[in-house]
Amino acid sequence: MPAIVSFDKVSFSYRGDWLNRVHALDDVTLSVPEGSAYGFLGANGAGKSTSIKLLGGILLGHRGAITLFGQPLGDHRLRARLGYLPEQPFFYDNLALDEYLHYLGRLSGVAPAGLAKACDRVYELLDLGDLRKRKLKSFSKGMRQRFGLAQAILHEPSLLVLDEPFSGLDPLWRARFKDVMALERKRGATLFFSSHILSDVEDLCDHYAVIDHGRVLEQGRLADLLGQAPLELTATGPAPESVAVAADGTWRLVFPEPERVARLAALPAGASILRLERQRVALQDYFVARIRDSHGAGKGLGPAGKHLQHADPPPRNRIS
Amino acid sequence: MIHVIAGATFRETVRARAFVLLLCFYAAAVMLSRVIGWISGTDGHIVTTNLVMSLQSIAGVLVAVATASVLVHTEIQQKTLYTVLSRPLPRWHFVVGKFLGLAGALVVGQAAMLAVGLLYLWATGADVGFPLALGGILTIAEVVVMAAVSLCLTALAGPLLAATLSLATYALGHAVGTLPKLMYHLHGGFQTYVCVTLASAVPDLSRFTFRDQAAYGKMLPLGEFAVDLVYAALWIALLVAIAVAVLRRKQL
Repeated sequence: MPAIVSFDKVSFSYRGDWLNRVHALDDVTLSVPEGSAYGFLGANGAGKSTSIKLLGGILLGHRGAITLFGQPLGDHRLRARLGYLPEQPFFYDNLALDEYLHYLGRLSGVAPAGLAKACDRVYELLDLGDLRKRKLKSFSKGMRQRFGLAQAILHEPSLLVLDEPFSGLDPLWRARFKDVMALERKRGATLFFSSHILSDVEDLCDHYAVIDHGRVLEQGRLADLLGQAPLELTATGPAPESVAVAADGTWRLVFPEPERVARLAALPAGASILRLERQRVALQDYFVARIRDSHGAGKGLGPAGKHLQHADPPPRNRIS
Repeated sequence: MIHVIAGATFRETVRARAFVLLLCFYAAAVMLSRVIGWISGTDGHIVTTNLVMSLQSIAGVLVAVATASVLVHTEIQQKTLYTVLSRPLPRWHFVVGKFLGLAGALVVGQAAMLAVGLLYLWATGADVGFPLALGGILTIAEVVVMAAVSLCLTALAGPLLAATLSLATYALGHAVGTLPKLMYHLHGGFQTYVCVTLASAVPDLSRFTFRDQAAYGKMLPLGEFAVDLVYAALWIALLVAIAVAVLRRKQL
């Protein structure tokens, strides 16, 4: 699949105090395949929002090359096909939802004749119809987030860039957001979003990247990552040597995928296989471990990182 | 896209509570101006007319400086520009659209003030003629020029410094009108050079203060009036162009 977004050795720094500069991105290289759902993972301050703002044309002055739809980022007309939801979106307080949506729709290039239809579509998707005449200053955080997604998908963009889209949502609306994002993907849009809620990334994404301290630690297909998990065999009957047998007579054996054939062939005669399943690598576990590794056993993680270092590993989920 | 941004900015500005409160404050101050007229001991109508016209200018300039100096800054602080800049429009459309929307709101506010002021003067028996209307229109031009000054300065400095410098420019702009007389007394030299440079770098706001003469019923030639409006338009265009040139490449 061709890349709809690519970063090639992109670096970016903010102006800090006096002459100091804060390096937010350092040689970031990543590629978002067209039609994919791409999860962008990283701790607070890792560089996720900076990358997304560069993509949205909000920040200027990066080094390296960014391409959007195969074109260099500089041309503002490319953003006609981009839908962007900022982290904790803020809007003009004194405009009504309907007015604001029409305003942003016009800016996105939606023809005035098609605006009403486009608005009705997002009202229905995000249940905003009853709020259309209300001014945005009376909106709760969750309502603002819903409006934020509505304005991002209003013009049916080819690429949806969402910065922490599930922030401030209750579980019901999180599920609804996932449905809307899945619908957008079905329509043909590519999703590129950052999230701290890793289970949501697992549910939605087929590609991922992990960023930390402005550097991409790794990226790839989520299936490949989860497919690296070892197999777990549960059996009863005669057990191999050095395998403990439980009180109910069952025993378990864990081995990597490449050893599957050899291990099964070497099972003792009379052993009866009850289950053979892949141990699930929870993205949460993987993410914490990956970030911990990059910091060199907790260095630089701060108090939270040191706490993580000593925490018990979270329970592993299983899939059949 | 400029008109779309200008329209939204206009609606947002005129619906702001501070904007409505200012109009109410102006109306109340206009009512009180009659008291000053009574106790002035001279022609009460002249004093009241002067006060009403000056109030329009002072209120307009203050609101122009206060709103224009935070016009872009508020968008940055409140992050409202994120959803706009990510749309397919060049940055200069955003800056020009914001300014035009604000200028439109200022013109509407000023026109409302002028109408209220003239209505009050007419109701109290003052001589309300064409000169007063021309004086009021020149005040509106002055207010929009001051908004452009603030926008330009806020592109170069923070909002507080920009507002302070704008008010200094306002004071200086009213002084540069007397520069020819000053130069005559200085008889050339370095001081004259400094004065001429200073005068050319600041809009001559004394061109827009016809209200004092208008209070006495003096008529401004229409040709001069037109030249003053063109002068205002040129300054506005120059100042907004500078703001655009700076903000186009500035990290927002």
